[in-house]
Amino acid sequence: MPGSLPGVSSDQIEQLRRRFKQLSGDQPTIRKEHFNNVPDLELNPIRSKIVRAFFDNRNLRKGPSGLADEINFEDFLTIMAYFQPIDVIMDEEQVQLCRKEKLRFLFHMYDSDSDGRITLEEYRNVVEELLSGNPHIEKDSARSIADGAMMEAASVCMGQMEPDQVYEGITFDDFLKIWQGIDIETKMHVRFLNMETMALCH
Amino acid sequence: AGSPGEPLPGLVLFRWQWHEVEAPYLVALWILVASLAKIVFHLSRKVTSVVPESCLLILLGLVLGGIVLAVAKKAEYQLEPGTFFLFLLPPIVLDSGYFMPSRLLFDNLGAILTYAVVGTLWNAFTTGAALWGLQQAGLVAPRVQAGLLDFLLFGSLISAVDPVAVLAVFEEVHVNETLFIIVFGESLLNDAVTVVLYKVCNSFVEMGSANVQATDYLKGVASLFVVSLGGAAVGLVFAFLLALTTRFTKRVRIIEPLLVFLLAYAAYLTAEMASLSAILAVTMCGLGCKKYVEANISHKSRTTVKYTMKTLASCAETVIFMLLGISAVDSSKWAWDSGLVLGTLFFILFFRALGVVLQTWVLNQFRLVPLDKIDQVVMSYGGLRGAVAFALVILLDKTKVPAKDYFVATTIVVVFFTVIVQGLTIKPLVKWLKVKRSEHHKPTLNQELHEHTFDHILAAVEDVVGHHGYHYWRDRWEQFDKKYLSQLLMRRSAYRIRDQIWDVYYRLNIRDAISFVDQGGHVLSSTGLTLPSMPSRNSVAETSVTNLLRESGSGACLDLQVIDTVRSGRDREDAVMHHLLCGGLYKPRRRYKASCSRHFILEDAQERQDKEVFQQNMKRRLESFKSTKHNICFAKSKPRPRKAGCKKARAFFGTSVGAGAAVILTVESEEEEEESDSSETEKDDEGIIFVARATSEVLQEGKVSGSLEVCPSPRIIPPSPTCAEKELPWKSGQGDLVVYVSSETTKIVPVDMQKGWNQSISSLESLASPSCTQAPTVTRLPPCPLAAEEPQAPLDPRPSFAFPPSLAKAGRSRSESSADIPRQQELQPLMQHEDQSHLSPGTASSHWCIQFNRGGRL
Repeated sequence: MPGSLPGVSSDQIEQLRRRFKQLSGDQPTIRKEHFNNVPDLELNPIRSKIVRAFFDNRNLRKGPSGLADEINFEDFLTIMAYFQPIDVIMDEEQVQLCRKEKLRFLFHMYDSDSDGRITLEEYRNVVEELLSGNPHIEKDSARSIADGAMMEAASVCMGQMEPDQVYEGITFDDFLKIWQGIDIETKMHVRFLNMETMALCH
Repeated sequence: AGSPGEPLPGLVLFRWQWHEVEAPYLVALWILVASLAKIVFHLSRKVTSVVPESCLLILLGLVLGGIVLAVAKKAEYQLEPGTFFLFLLPPIVLDSGYFMPSRLLFDNLGAILTYAVVGTLWNAFTTGAALWGLQQAGLVAPRVQAGLLDFLLFGSLISAVDPVAVLAVFEEVHVNETLFIIVFGESLLNDAVTVVLYKVCNSFVEMGSANVQATDYLKGVASLFVVSLGGAAVGLVFAFLLALTTRFTKRVRIIEPLLVFLLAYAAYLTAEMASLSAILAVTMCGLGCKKYVEANISHKSRTTVKYTMKTLASCAETVIFMLLGISAVDSSKWAWDSGLVLGTLFFILFFRALGVVLQTWVLNQFRLVPLDKIDQVVMSYGGLRGAVAFALVILLDKTKVPAKDYFVATTIVVVFFTVIVQGLTIKPLVKWLKVKRSEHHKPTLNQELHEHTFDHILAAVEDVVGHHGYHYWRDRWEQFDKKYLSQLLMRRSAYRIRDQIWDVYYRLNIRDAISFVDQGGHVLSSTGLTLPSMPSRNSVAETSVTNLLRESGSGACLDLQVIDTVRSGRDREDAVMHHLLCGGLYKPRRRYKASCSRHFILEDAQERQDKEVFQQNMKRRLESFKSTKHNICFAKSKPRPRKAGCKKARAFFGTSVGAGAAVILTVESEEEEEESDSSETEKDDEGIIFVARATSEVLQEGKVSGSLEVCPSPRIIPPSPTCAEKELPWKSGQGDLVVYVSSETTKIVPVDMQKGWNQSISSLESLASPSCTQAPTVTRLPPCPLAAEEPQAPLDPRPSFAFPPSLAKAGRSRSESSADIPRQQELQPLMQHEDQSHLSPGTASSHWCIQFNRGGRL
């Protein structure tokens, strides 16, 4: 799988390789620090989570948990492959698979301890980071938003719960359930087609 | 005083003055007729589900036109281009611009612009040229004297898709939102192209084709940019002004809605004056200002803006279609030529379809989600022509365009055909083709969170790849907006708490609260959602209701400047929600319906009546307060026996030192014992929410206390609000209300929920008084033990505000407080005027001193 990017021409791969080299400073691998060189990334509230996702072994298909220290170009392409648009020629099954993969990427970002569940703590963490752009919103409200979202997830996934039932966290299946009916076609694609407009670096 | 010689004309008992009122009377009458027709159409659900309203209105117009023609022997009351462009079109465009889903629009902007610009140009030129070809082929009768330029002029006015018609038909069809925004966005944005083409062709025709120079063509192209960009710029300038103005309307909330309409209309007129694209100007104005205006203006103003806008737009639309029908009857304008009419009909349909297919093919090379064949069919078929084309064709100069009458007749036929035939068939067509319909799934918090995450991820990935695409620019824009624009255009209080996620959370909470109340509060006891360290769903509802109370903040008091009190940045739930809430929250507490009936009267009755009833209520409450004769236990004044748990009365005082010398006196009777779940319905201990303006009138009157039906336990917060508002910190500056929640409150929350409750309280407090240094100091009183009969005067001389604990408690007892508050708010503005005339700071302060002393003796 790594390296094969259907729908992305060799031209674009070449572009990506150039960009990769630029990021790594002509090294064969990229380390986390290299992402500090991307100035536009600074302002992203969930920057750390995104950078982390690039090194996540689960996303790189290298293991069930843990982080890679460095990634090479193939790994880089693997990550990029999560963002490829759904092709017109794909059949229904492939579309579903593609969709699932994309959601899995997001899920892994939330599930930081790789236990297959987004626990309340993890969710709160994400929401806090999301809201961190606004200094006037306090952590407590971020927390209550996460609580509310978790509650919602619980009610979507478990239905009416028994009083003593405990909802431990969102599993991937639950996650898919939450996403049911929501179009992600436009939501997790980056167009690599117009690579010629690619900004040559800062 | 006539001279004695002349006979006095005598007093005329009855005088008919029709001519003095004729014009406005007729206008009002026509609008009334249109509205009545609308009501009649909607009496039958069957008819309106099959036939679009616009068709019915046109048909009605035809009938009315026939009647007018028969009675007056000449065609009257037609759609005048001047009226149409200056009065009827702006409200519709403003409505659509203001409520345009901007995210959706910008996501599809490329496609929309392509269809609007390229598509319209294509349609105009091909249709015009094809008609000319038809004439050359001898299929159009030779009496139609028109050259190529005339046909191009005709093509330019007939080719534009009409926003009014599209809106009228598509609103009833419910296709998916992408399809809708593409067709509708095209119809709005093509105005610039239509205007330019029309003007250029018109001037070419007037100059005569021989005199047209090459530079004129270049000018024509240049004017396309001038008109469109100029129109958009005018709109944005006015949007900026509008947003900036509403930032400073804090003390004059009442004119907020007016400002929105005035400035938007000014944008329209300015663009029209400079012969720029007026439709584009208003669209951009509405689109640009909405975010900031909504954050700045009060909740009520928002509701007003929404309803007024919708009313005006719907009214204008109705009148337009009706007048279109009437205008068609005028046979003097008609000059029929079958070749021209049929040819035009065929060409506009054919070239529209062809243009859509070609453009979509190109666009699909770039679009992430390609438009499929079905979409293209609907887009081709949905290209409705309407009143804009009609008004433009009427505006033609007959001396310069000899074939005008033929063009008018053809335009009428085209408009009627597209609105009636296509309007009627598009619904079955959409059904038959199984076009993806719009799904109205409720927004969920998870979805909102995930979408935000996606946005950030995409922006980040574009950053990493170094590809400056759509997400990159959107991200940049949002940062720019956050950093500069919002800060400049939004009230500080609104700006600091503005966040989309929070808004959704807030809205959902209110929805929860409503459903909670709709279920009669059973959720509280029945569900036991236990999540590790998580407040249950119910406490979310608690939060929301508390939020709500805080929203109506001092509205919980009988604050007379109520319009001021509603905070703007927070309450994003729309008007429907608001009304639902009023109704929804009230319902389960039927017990109080009878006793609250006065408030219902108040809502609808006249001002005078309002005042009377209000004063009566005030009197009663005041007297019941007096009649307690400095009693310790206010509970004794209650008509109903209280539960034994009532043991203590607590008092909070917040003094506000200042010219107004307003004193807040909170007398609180609170049950000491923790309430059980059953007491949820026992609302005996609900306090009066009583803030009286110290009107001397009220004070002087009355002796005997009536029964305190509404809220038996007197909780009296009598500041003089106007003075107080000037003095009290939470009214000024940040505009943030300090939420005071007694720790006692937690007692009434069931134990298993206390954690959640506390959390929501703390989050409330933190939100209400964000980490700003200017925040008013809250004197937080420790929950007093039984000995709390002495009032505790705050040590802090600075003004403070205590949110009465039982108000917070009302989070549980939603019904009375929440249902009451809006009603009380309703009548407060009415009192305001009188009160201000009565009230001088001196009397207020002296009076409240008495109150204060009385309180002191408690």
